[in-house]
Amino acid sequence: MKFVKFIVSLLAAAGLTYALNRPLGAIPALGRLFSPFEGFWQNGESKLSLPPANLQLAGAKDEIDIVFDDNHVPHVFAKNDHDAYFAQGYLVARDRLWQMEFYTLAASGRLSEVVGERALELDRYSRRMGMADAAKKVYENGKTDKIFDEVLNAYTEGVNVYIKQLKYKDLPVEYKIIGYQPEEWSPYKTILMMMNMRNVLNGGSDDFRMTNALSKYGMDVVKDLFPNYPTNESPIIPAGTKWDFTPVAVPAAPAQVSANAIAGEPVAFNIPTHSPEIGSNNWVVGGTKSATGLPILANDPHLQLTLPSIWYQMQLCTPTMNVYGACLPGAPGVVIGFNKDIAWGVTNVGSDVMDFYQIKFKDKTKKEYWYNGAWKPTTMRVEEFVVKGRPESLKDTVFSTHHGPIVYNVSSEKNLNQTVPAGHAMRWIALEKEGTDLMAFYYLNRAKNYDDYRKALSYYVAPAQNFIFASNQNDISITPNGKLPLKWKEQGKFIMDGSNPANDWQGWIPIEQNPTAKNPAQGFLSSANQFSTDPTYPYYLGWKFAPSERAIRINERLAAMQKATVDSLRLLQNDNFNVEARVILPELMKILNSDSANNNNAAYQVLAKWNMKNDATEMGATIFERWVKELRYTIWEDEFSMKDKNNPMNYPSRSRTWEMVKKQPTAKWFDNISTKDKQETMQDIVKSSFKATIDSLTMKLGPMTPVTWAWNQVKSTDINHLGRLPGFGRQDIPNGGGGGIVNATTEVNGPSWRMVVQLDKGWPKAYGLYPGGQSGNPASPFYDNMIDKWAKGELNELFFMKSKDEKSSRISGTMKIIKK
Amino acid sequence: MNYIIILIVSAVAQYFLPWWVVAPISFGITAWKSDTALGAYGSAAAAIGTLWVGYATFLNMSNEGIMVQKIGGLFSENLKFLKSLPVTPTFFAIMTIIGSQVAGLSAVAGHHFKALLK
Repeated sequence: MKFVKFIVSLLAAAGLTYALNRPLGAIPALGRLFSPFEGFWQNGESKLSLPPANLQLAGAKDEIDIVFDDNHVPHVFAKNDHDAYFAQGYLVARDRLWQMEFYTLAASGRLSEVVGERALELDRYSRRMGMADAAKKVYENGKTDKIFDEVLNAYTEGVNVYIKQLKYKDLPVEYKIIGYQPEEWSPYKTILMMMNMRNVLNGGSDDFRMTNALSKYGMDVVKDLFPNYPTNESPIIPAGTKWDFTPVAVPAAPAQVSANAIAGEPVAFNIPTHSPEIGSNNWVVGGTKSATGLPILANDPHLQLTLPSIWYQMQLCTPTMNVYGACLPGAPGVVIGFNKDIAWGVTNVGSDVMDFYQIKFKDKTKKEYWYNGAWKPTTMRVEEFVVKGRPESLKDTVFSTHHGPIVYNVSSEKNLNQTVPAGHAMRWIALEKEGTDLMAFYYLNRAKNYDDYRKALSYYVAPAQNFIFASNQNDISITPNGKLPLKWKEQGKFIMDGSNPANDWQGWIPIEQNPTAKNPAQGFLSSANQFSTDPTYPYYLGWKFAPSERAIRINERLAAMQKATVDSLRLLQNDNFNVEARVILPELMKILNSDSANNNNAAYQVLAKWNMKNDATEMGATIFERWVKELRYTIWEDEFSMKDKNNPMNYPSRSRTWEMVKKQPTAKWFDNISTKDKQETMQDIVKSSFKATIDSLTMKLGPMTPVTWAWNQVKSTDINHLGRLPGFGRQDIPNGGGGGIVNATTEVNGPSWRMVVQLDKGWPKAYGLYPGGQSGNPASPFYDNMIDKWAKGELNELFFMKSKDEKSSRISGTMKIIKK
Repeated sequence: MNYIIILIVSAVAQYFLPWWVVAPISFGITAWKSDTALGAYGSAAAAIGTLWVGYATFLNMSNEGIMVQKIGGLFSENLKFLKSLPVTPTFFAIMTIIGSQVAGLSAVAGHHFKALLK
């Protein structure tokens, strides 16, 4: 009996302990998670907690001084470059380790290792895209540059020295909740982080949607509705700028620019279309336009807003540099910032650098494909997926051609055994094996003048960026820069025939012939992801760039600006004027006005009085934004369906649509082809879409009141946690803006870093912030402390130190790293 | 007495060893001395309960309670009933149940082990 009692009680105790020490499905090990000695309680960060005064770290070559300011920004003072990057790696890991690793898991298609089955499709996609494979090769090639290798390794050492001394209780709370451990960092992972940016900024394609449109409506319609240059544009390089180079020969276009559609092979793979919100603004006013007589530069990159934030602020000071700015967690150096002499910023170029080729295989083994009149062998790679919660790993075979990897569509995969499959190979700039991109930032961080800027740019590959520049020698410049394929006109607008060598990428635009402008007569330069140049540029970069509204507004404001100050540029970053409303609203109102019933309509009255600004409290913005969305849907969805699962297409652009409303009101596209016995006119569509918009807004928001219909209520900007952990984000942030607005804050995207730098012969004055905080720890007071200020459109003065001994009330703590 | 011993030994041990060390400690100490199964259970459960609540209260206060609010938000997204409960007391209660049950049941096993050896 005694024995039974013992066994029963022992089993109960041991069983409970064991159960609480193991994850159960998605639920982490609860005992460990709730223990105050190890679990989430340990992640609570005190406001008063200061960094350790002295820290002995293996890997440091000399003493490193670190000063923390009142915003938890580290200012690193190192005696050599190695130590600066070592400290950067250490400090970023200390604040953002989970996030850094998360990006690399995403880019390399390994998320399902930590979150299980639900990430498997995303992982398959990432693996087929081949980013992990490319990252390895980029590092192999890049490390022949000695500096590149040293910088990456110093950073890696710093990250790893931090990881190695972590115990479970010190892990970022996300590791505890999801239940895994950080791996060692490596230079390869830094490249993966950069791959992530290449994917975000260059990983979109309209090729298959355009091919669908072409095969349904023919070339004349496509040329008419999807033109290669918009009617209203304000290009990055001011129109009329002379090209002072002799262009190289552009390859000849083949007779057929698009591959023939194969019957029964709908081309519907899941490549996202270009997202217009993932864009950015930057501009610079020269000395002639500024109050100080020297340039002022502004930049706000728009990305998906997350917590922890994509950016991390830092100052790095060594005998060879003293730079401040925004860094990417996982990558050494400063990506957007300034030093004593210069400032620079970036926006995405968005040229067409992802093309698809139809591939004809010899048989279903896919070992050979037809190219240039002969069978050519494919290469094969087997991807293995370790999935959390699955006992065995999964395998996926990826074939590659000389163009790039094969991306299959879903339907053909199911039909694998019935027909010889057609595949689509992808040529993508992100998979270029050379890539010392980070060296561009390395040299920019140290640049002193325009020539240094030009030299730095030559190292940059992808994703192509509009590098804007200003120096205290009163030079301003902008260069859409990166490795740009040398294409015939419209090459890659459609899916191409992969067997014809004329369709290959046949070279590159010489990097010194990338479009550039320096000190233009207008006294300012800017970019907002619009067309890089006017049509006189001798090379083809793409047919579609971000809509021109932001660019038009920025350029007209800058043109009007005199004696500009930091504040005038800050206000422009927060400009909510709706250029699209100016273009089309008067026309639409005229049509509504023809119906006398509308005069008494409250929504009509709101629009008639609206100041055309997407301010947070405006009801007019709500009605207009939803109405034009509905209107475009009503005009185009019947003929150019974006929702169609098998043959999706794109709608013609906003500017083309409004041009049609104004100049071709009788175009056949206005008729809704799904109403067989009725022919709708443009006026009918405008009126019915207005009514539908008001009805659906009323249904969703209730009767119209200034509170419930306010633009910020409807747009409702959310900054979610990067890993989508509920409760770790911030919802319903009150602010205005919108997709085509200079203040490009949408539901989940927006200005991820706002910076304004006033150059000076002595010491620059700089301002900036991002919607988040320096710490990645959700319980830290520095997790989201900048969001409220950001939402109000304010900026923090950035504390750019001259030396480690500088005294200031803004210093909150110091720390010394000593070599071990 | 057992209460004090378990509390002190566990406090020190948990600084170096995983959380479940409270189980063998409770087992060992009640196997060494305990009068009744209920007494063993009570002393161990109370000791770990006090220790965990005390330490968590300290950590929670120095963080102004932010962490537990975040974790509360996270859990209540999947377990909707938590939304109607106050976060901090609920999570202290869950923690206390986990800690004290593991310790208490281990102590009972320890007591029966002692009885077995007699």
